[in-house]
Amino acid sequence: MALTTAPDPTRRGTGSVRPPAPRGGTGRIRHGEGLAGYVFLSPWLVGLMAITAIPMLLSLYLSFTNYDILTPWSEVEWVGLANYERMFISDPSWWHSVRVTLNFALIAVPLKLAAALGVALLLNRAWRGVGLFRGLFYLPSLLGGSVALAIVWVNMFNREGAFNSFLALFGIEGKPWVNDPDWALETLMVLAIWQFGAPMVIFLAGLKQVPTELYEAAAVDGAGKFRQFVNVTLPMLSPVIFFNLVLETINGFQGFTAAFVLSNGTGGPVDSTLMYTLNLYITGFTDLEMGYASAMAWVFLIAIAIITVIFFSTGRFWVHYSDGEDR
Amino acid sequence: MHPATATSVPDGRTYRTPLLRRRFLRGLLAAVVTLPLIGAAAACGDDDAASDGKVRLSIFWWGGEARAQLTKQALDLYTEKNPDVTFEKTWQANQGYFDKLATLTAGGNPPDIFQIDDNFLAEYAARNTTLDLKKYQDSGDLDTTKFPPSLLQYGVVDGKLAGLAAGENTQGLVYNKTLLDKNGLPEPTTGMSWEEHVAWAEQVSKKAGIPGTQDPSADYKAFWVWLRQQGKDLYSGNELGFTVEDVTKWFELWKGARDRGATPPPDVIHEGNATDITKQLVVTGKAATSWVWVNQMPELKKNTADELGVIAYPGDPSGQWARASMYWSIFRGSKHADVAADVINFLVNDPEAVKLLGTDRGLPSNLDLRRVISDDATDPAMKQSITVENELAEKFGESPQVPIKGHSKVKSELTKAAENAQYGRAAPAEAAAQFVEACKAAIVS
Repeated sequence: MALTTAPDPTRRGTGSVRPPAPRGGTGRIRHGEGLAGYVFLSPWLVGLMAITAIPMLLSLYLSFTNYDILTPWSEVEWVGLANYERMFISDPSWWHSVRVTLNFALIAVPLKLAAALGVALLLNRAWRGVGLFRGLFYLPSLLGGSVALAIVWVNMFNREGAFNSFLALFGIEGKPWVNDPDWALETLMVLAIWQFGAPMVIFLAGLKQVPTELYEAAAVDGAGKFRQFVNVTLPMLSPVIFFNLVLETINGFQGFTAAFVLSNGTGGPVDSTLMYTLNLYITGFTDLEMGYASAMAWVFLIAIAIITVIFFSTGRFWVHYSDGEDR
Repeated sequence: MHPATATSVPDGRTYRTPLLRRRFLRGLLAAVVTLPLIGAAAACGDDDAASDGKVRLSIFWWGGEARAQLTKQALDLYTEKNPDVTFEKTWQANQGYFDKLATLTAGGNPPDIFQIDDNFLAEYAARNTTLDLKKYQDSGDLDTTKFPPSLLQYGVVDGKLAGLAAGENTQGLVYNKTLLDKNGLPEPTTGMSWEEHVAWAEQVSKKAGIPGTQDPSADYKAFWVWLRQQGKDLYSGNELGFTVEDVTKWFELWKGARDRGATPPPDVIHEGNATDITKQLVVTGKAATSWVWVNQMPELKKNTADELGVIAYPGDPSGQWARASMYWSIFRGSKHADVAADVINFLVNDPEAVKLLGTDRGLPSNLDLRRVISDDATDPAMKQSITVENELAEKFGESPQVPIKGHSKVKSELTKAAENAQYGRAAPAEAAAQFVEACKAAIVS
């Protein structure tokens, strides 16, 4: 979050780092401390290099080759920008997966945040048993991207599933939701929205930080509940909304597990659940076109980076930090 | 922080402390950085520990619990006879198997012996991942004299023997006998034309109230048999063996069947398109037939109380062939290829081993032993599949060429195109044109 190293003792944010304790000793000792710091960091640093940084750079290299997993490295051919050209020019299924993913993120992410905020507002009161409800609403997100949950979802939303039995109580004839190309992706969206617990908890924490005197002042000025929400709660909560928005958008784009399980790893029916990451996985591991899949991964990374930059650059128009700093 | 170090030197020469500590820390840093490397090097060293004549072979296959038990017993038998050879046995379900195999290969750590099927044999052989077994065949270390020639031939890719058939198998149309008997309906027979099959299925739908047949238009193995009966093939050399018109005819055949109510609604067809045995419509009761492999009969039988029958796919049965249900292949870089070849030879030719393995991977490739196994079979479902397969074997046509590189993409594109037509999102001709275009891109790249 707002992690800053500014040694400003008046700042009281949750994330701000306290200024260093009284510094004793000489520059040499501090140099030693720096080294010690690196030593303590080293397990993580080695892990970062070996598990993240080096493979990432290798995949950047592979994205310019025709690497197919089985061929030894020494026989891999450099193909220049061919993989990137193919993606943009001659691969309809790539464009299809982009559309599916955008469709998913544009609908599921706002609805999930709205659900999280709505429930957080309801649970931000002191009534008996509120803790229990917080726990219950948080529970689904603990199950996260689990395979078991996706299997349950498939069984709930197929032709004979519990959801259709429920609809039948009202005389409504259901659909084979997960096996219907018009509804399979929507079923995945509902699953994502249902797991709103994590942003909800963050919203709750944010709501607790809003000073009550602001509400009191607003009430004195004659603002009703709705005006208070729009003019006090939303602005005060905007940093938290921003944080949730960025994280959930990235999460939404990366959706994989549920789509994989629901479609038996195919993206079906008729490619309706062919999320970007699933398409990437199939390209790399089933079709054995790892070079092309690497190129897809890099385009994906850059796209997410651009979206995040856009969020940050528009953020200063609507995100208010209460500490009075002008950002 | 270590306050003690700053005060530990009584004469106040504190400059030594940081220096010492720095040295110590540097050593520590070096250790932290290099230790994993040493560990990795040591791990690599294990492979070479064969100096005492002991050999440890890694072997990898897909399948269920039953296959795992049988295979382990057969391998233990080999160890019993050759105490110097032990095995590192790894197995898993079919889903994800080839992802894992590809990843192991990429990591430079593939198993010495692995199970593979015709969907992937050419992908691996074309990339020189599999060892050419010809030299073992020539030297007699790998005895193939008792193999049906077409079955052996079906493991040859570009003139190299890329895999040795672990068993023989062929396409089988499985039907629910109990359901038919209950409704006084006739059983389908081998040799019925495709049109007759659809008409029969329409009858079943009307009388039994359950869709007569699964729509196999998304299933490459049904499409393949049908193509061969039209004098075409799935592949011809490095090109497609069919045209847009052929695919259109195939899709229209099944559109007609759907329109007549012979097949289930598209979402049920989609469910049945999963390769998982437990989801086949004939065992879930959502259709009267399923398009499977003959050797899957015993497994199918375990998932339903109804009696099942099995025949060839419709049309002339010479469209079918002695297909290797799966092969044993050896990794090209295996350090113990000679031993691995001997193990494969043992698995397909040793009477005791073959008896242990039974028909789990299809009918034994060795014809002499196949006869023995057939006579000894006690499981009725297994007996049934052996009988049917032996009958069909007399009518088999020539083996086609093994599917080429890009085949897995062709398979998934067929499913997509067929489902597009099934859900009514595209006309048969439209779906066929898209399919052929996608296939051409897939096999070129």
